[in-house]
Amino acid sequence: MPPNKPQPTVEPTRPTVFAKGDGAELELRGELGILTLADARSALKQWSKPGAGRSLDLSGLKSLDTPGALFLRGLRVQGVSLTGVRAEHKALLDLLCGLELEPAPKVKPVRRWRQLVIQIGKGAHDVARAAIDITTFVGRTASWTLRGLMHPASLRPASISRHIAETGIQALPIIGLMAVMIAIVIGYQGVAQLRRFGGEDFTINLVAVSVLREMAVIITAIMVAGRSGSAFTAEIGVMKTRQEVDALQVMGMEPMQVLVVPRVIALVITLPLLTFFADIMGLLGGAAISQFLLDMSPTQYLARLPQVVDGSDLFVGLFKAPVFAFFIASIACMHGLKVSGSAESVGRETTRAVVKSIFLVIALDALFSIVFEKMGI
Amino acid sequence: MTARTTTKAKTILSARGISNRFGRQVVHDNLSLDINRGEIIGIAGGSGSGKSVLLRTLVGLHEPNAGEVLINGKAVQSIGADEIASLIGVLFQQGALFSSLTVAQNIMVPMREHTALAAEEQERIAAMKLALAGLPADAGIKFPAALSGGMVKRAAFARALALDPKILFLDEPTSDLDPIAASGIDALIRQLNDSLGVTVVIVTHDLTTLFTICDRIAVLVDRNVTVATAEKLMKSDHPWIHEFFHGPRAEGAMKARKASHGN
Repeated sequence: MPPNKPQPTVEPTRPTVFAKGDGAELELRGELGILTLADARSALKQWSKPGAGRSLDLSGLKSLDTPGALFLRGLRVQGVSLTGVRAEHKALLDLLCGLELEPAPKVKPVRRWRQLVIQIGKGAHDVARAAIDITTFVGRTASWTLRGLMHPASLRPASISRHIAETGIQALPIIGLMAVMIAIVIGYQGVAQLRRFGGEDFTINLVAVSVLREMAVIITAIMVAGRSGSAFTAEIGVMKTRQEVDALQVMGMEPMQVLVVPRVIALVITLPLLTFFADIMGLLGGAAISQFLLDMSPTQYLARLPQVVDGSDLFVGLFKAPVFAFFIASIACMHGLKVSGSAESVGRETTRAVVKSIFLVIALDALFSIVFEKMGI
Repeated sequence: MTARTTTKAKTILSARGISNRFGRQVVHDNLSLDINRGEIIGIAGGSGSGKSVLLRTLVGLHEPNAGEVLINGKAVQSIGADEIASLIGVLFQQGALFSSLTVAQNIMVPMREHTALAAEEQERIAAMKLALAGLPADAGIKFPAALSGGMVKRAAFARALALDPKILFLDEPTSDLDPIAASGIDALIRQLNDSLGVTVVIVTHDLTTLFTICDRIAVLVDRNVTVATAEKLMKSDHPWIHEFFHGPRAEGAMKARKASHGN
């Protein structure tokens, strides 16, 4: 906005600053401050080239703030003598002129190709570190859990039962709902594809086998990783930021034993139970599909079931659950204990824990598929 | 300082009939407080006496159940964003520096938001504010997480001063600091008050701060304030105030006052 433009009367008048006189002796009038710095600069434009013997009269200056004083300091450094400084501005000007101002050090920008190399290297290093961390921590957890099982007196039943309630019972509605819906999704896809070959009755095989062997356990594990794994990391992480973990240690209690083992045991108990619940709900979803898409009554469906699935399908699903549970709980606790200081770090570690545990669940599941195939189960 | 208190004092901030309640608990009951232009006023009181609530009320972060706060005669809640930013600066207890920005960027936040200055001009001003707050130039490129407690306070100081506010509110500026850093902060407050003429409101338990740099002290007792100079409060016969100014910790602080005031 040019300073001479008329302002609407309701707005507070904008402070202005202007220079009077010309040549080597100027007078600065008005209010010199953060809002009028640009005006002051343009008012003194005629001095932009170096010259000698200049002086600036400041007796007409109504107000001055620190950016204004910084501007005047700059003029003084260039050799302009400041005259007629008002008494109330002198202290401020003296303070600013007395400051030792060095230019802020610049951070050297890294070239883009080098940045790429650095990123790749860092990424590889992080992955390697994460693999080592997970391996050692999972080992430690296993050792502490076994020690706990061998000395049952050292287990904490109250803590274990609280975690079972939180990770298990409260997760029932959402896991049941998801299992039904996944069965419906598979059922619809199956019917659409198998109908072309006239084999839509095999949809029951498809739904029942995939629910029992894979879907129930995978959906449950992912849900539990997102729901309970993140809660573990956040709980332990907050305890870490408030030095509660340090307090445990100085009181002679081992965080692995007090915080990690009860959570691991609780999750190893609940995940298979939740998986079994998801199995049943998934099969119920299959019953609904049969009723609506295949015109097969629930009794017929129940009669068909034992022919298409057997105990090994159920076993394969349930066998994987405690393994997944052990890894989910270990990784969540590991990241909780990695939290350092800030609240920001709690969020970061929680994200990492969830991402890693879901990744690991899928990777382990792939491994199990290969192993069971080779074993012929 | 005596010259300042004897000249006709002009009120810059006035709180009238403030009442704050949380559920059944009454924190402030019809509290009134006038703050004079250019003074350093300390707000003291026991834990839970409502010091922080009063500070939040004065800066407009908390709306009182009754009463109003006027800054330069205008209700604080009705002052526009640009104006309030150049009118008040707040140093929060933990610094409240934005952790994703460097210290210099933190100081530039209010400038970027409320002025049209060129980026390099903002950087120059930010460097000046850093020096003003007593930080070395290379502190500007650091992130808040890399600073010590004393440096965080100074950096937060620099940000609070970004737009040259007329009133500076300081919430426990010396808490969590070692005595040397705390004295440094006290000296900084005094210097800024002297040279910039900024009015300073300090909420603190620190008796040394209260005794050595505050012109007046507002003590929060019985859901209201008693405002007076330290000398007058020393003579108060209210049991809490008496205990506060005559307890074992007050002795050392009183010595510091005598040393700094030279009488």
